[in-house]
Amino acid sequence: MENINFKIGEKEFVSIIGSSGAGKSTLMKLLHAEEKPTCGEILFEGEDIVEYKKKQIFQHRRDVGIVFQDFKLLPKKNVFENVAFAMEVAGKSDEEIAEDVPQVLEIVGLSHLAEKYPNEISGGEQQRVAIARALVNRPKVLIADEPTGNLDPESGWEILQSLLKINKYGTTVVLASHDKESIDKINKRVILLEDGKIVSDESVGKYDLKKEKNLKHKKKTKKKRI
Amino acid sequence: MGLNLSRTLKAGLKNFFRNGWLSVATISIIMVTLFIINIQIAVVSSENLLLNDIKNRVSISVYFKPETNEQDVLRAKDEFSRYQEVASVEYISKEQALEDFKNENANNEILQKSLEEIETNPFEPTLSIKAWEPRNYELISRAVNESDFRENINTVNYDKYSNVIDNLGKEIDSNQKTGLALGITLAVIAVLITFNSVRITMYSHSREIGIMRLVGASNNFVRMPFVWEGIFYGLISAAIALPLSFLYLKFVAITESSGVILPFSNSIYIEQFLSQVFFKNILWIIPAELGAGILLGMISSFIAIGRYLKNPKR
Repeated sequence: MENINFKIGEKEFVSIIGSSGAGKSTLMKLLHAEEKPTCGEILFEGEDIVEYKKKQIFQHRRDVGIVFQDFKLLPKKNVFENVAFAMEVAGKSDEEIAEDVPQVLEIVGLSHLAEKYPNEISGGEQQRVAIARALVNRPKVLIADEPTGNLDPESGWEILQSLLKINKYGTTVVLASHDKESIDKINKRVILLEDGKIVSDESVGKYDLKKEKNLKHKKKTKKKRI
Repeated sequence: MGLNLSRTLKAGLKNFFRNGWLSVATISIIMVTLFIINIQIAVVSSENLLLNDIKNRVSISVYFKPETNEQDVLRAKDEFSRYQEVASVEYISKEQALEDFKNENANNEILQKSLEEIETNPFEPTLSIKAWEPRNYELISRAVNESDFRENINTVNYDKYSNVIDNLGKEIDSNQKTGLALGITLAVIAVLITFNSVRITMYSHSREIGIMRLVGASNNFVRMPFVWEGIFYGLISAAIALPLSFLYLKFVAITESSGVILPFSNSIYIEQFLSQVFFKNILWIIPAELGAGILLGMISSFIAIGRYLKNPKR
């Protein structure tokens, strides 16, 4: 990747688009502190996550919710436990878990499946569990790395709607996808990647420079050799 | 902190039960190791009891001339008692010696009759000297022979025993060394086996471990269940090994045919070991055994995990 420079403001909904191999996943991994850039900085709330030590990285991953293409649910835990796990990792008490997990399951409409195991529910439902898990610690940012990649079009559209709803309630969403048609329909900011470079960065319609000044997130990556 | 501890404990327990036969195999091997180490310790302990017993029975006998006056003998007793190598000095008067002899040989008519015929008491006043360490008998014997009382002394005998004691001492020493070597080898093997089992468990969980780390679990959070698992392996193995060792010592080792594991199987000493050493110290033997098991398990787990978890995916 080269010369990646962009800023994402609070409560924005940004889609990163590009064909396979364009670098979307790499970008998501950079944001999630799974990869390190060769040079440059990634600023999250003013701190450069590139400089983070182990402990801070794990903390960062709790502050930023992430959803993957292949769901990545723990197979031996049921829906409730999978979501609860994110809270256990953050050291939350059993009481807090008992309170928050049902709430977030309601938001994604999966309360009735709380006792089911990942292999007993559909792909769309699994992804919603993943979203619930990503949300349960009330992160400021939700990162979605091709969340609809393994889903059929209807489920995929539902997931997109869920993400929009979440964004409406105040969470910044950064979404990577190669499904250009769906993304076009939702009228949000789109960053187009090709061969590791930003080709265009269109904020559609309502977003203007004033909003960009109220920055909570700044992401700047200069060069990364793959 | 405590919350994480209890959560990882539950996770470790779950892993442990889910492993099924792997857990059984691991526990068996650690248990056998601890068992053999226990028996080795028991053997060494019993041998030491034997040695002590012999040391106690061994003494230098200083025979005074029959006409020596009792006061002189008693003075000699005082003097010899003061040697620092001497543990105790017992005085057996000639009258006492005669009595003892009569009692010991009560059944032997010929001897009884011969005693009646000799009118005087043929026995000599005797001082029986015991040393703290068998190797000092030679020293004491020389001192006695060169003491002020030497004119009154007929004979000093100790020679017979020194070889026996030396040889026994050497054999016990080499047994101890073999036992130690065996014990250490087995402990290493046990550590390796546990290490392997934990590794296998981790491998079968590797996907889950990856997911956990992506969700933000710290290394410790991921690690602890496996450490607990190692601890459980060790704990259960120890809990089985101890009573098993006891039962073996009590019922099997005591029979003559068990010379295979035990370099020497002197049943009396094993009994003695059990009643004197084992039961007396049981209150700290139990925690020690459990502790050893836990330590074994924990170390293996830590090593197994340490090499598996590297830096967070970067």
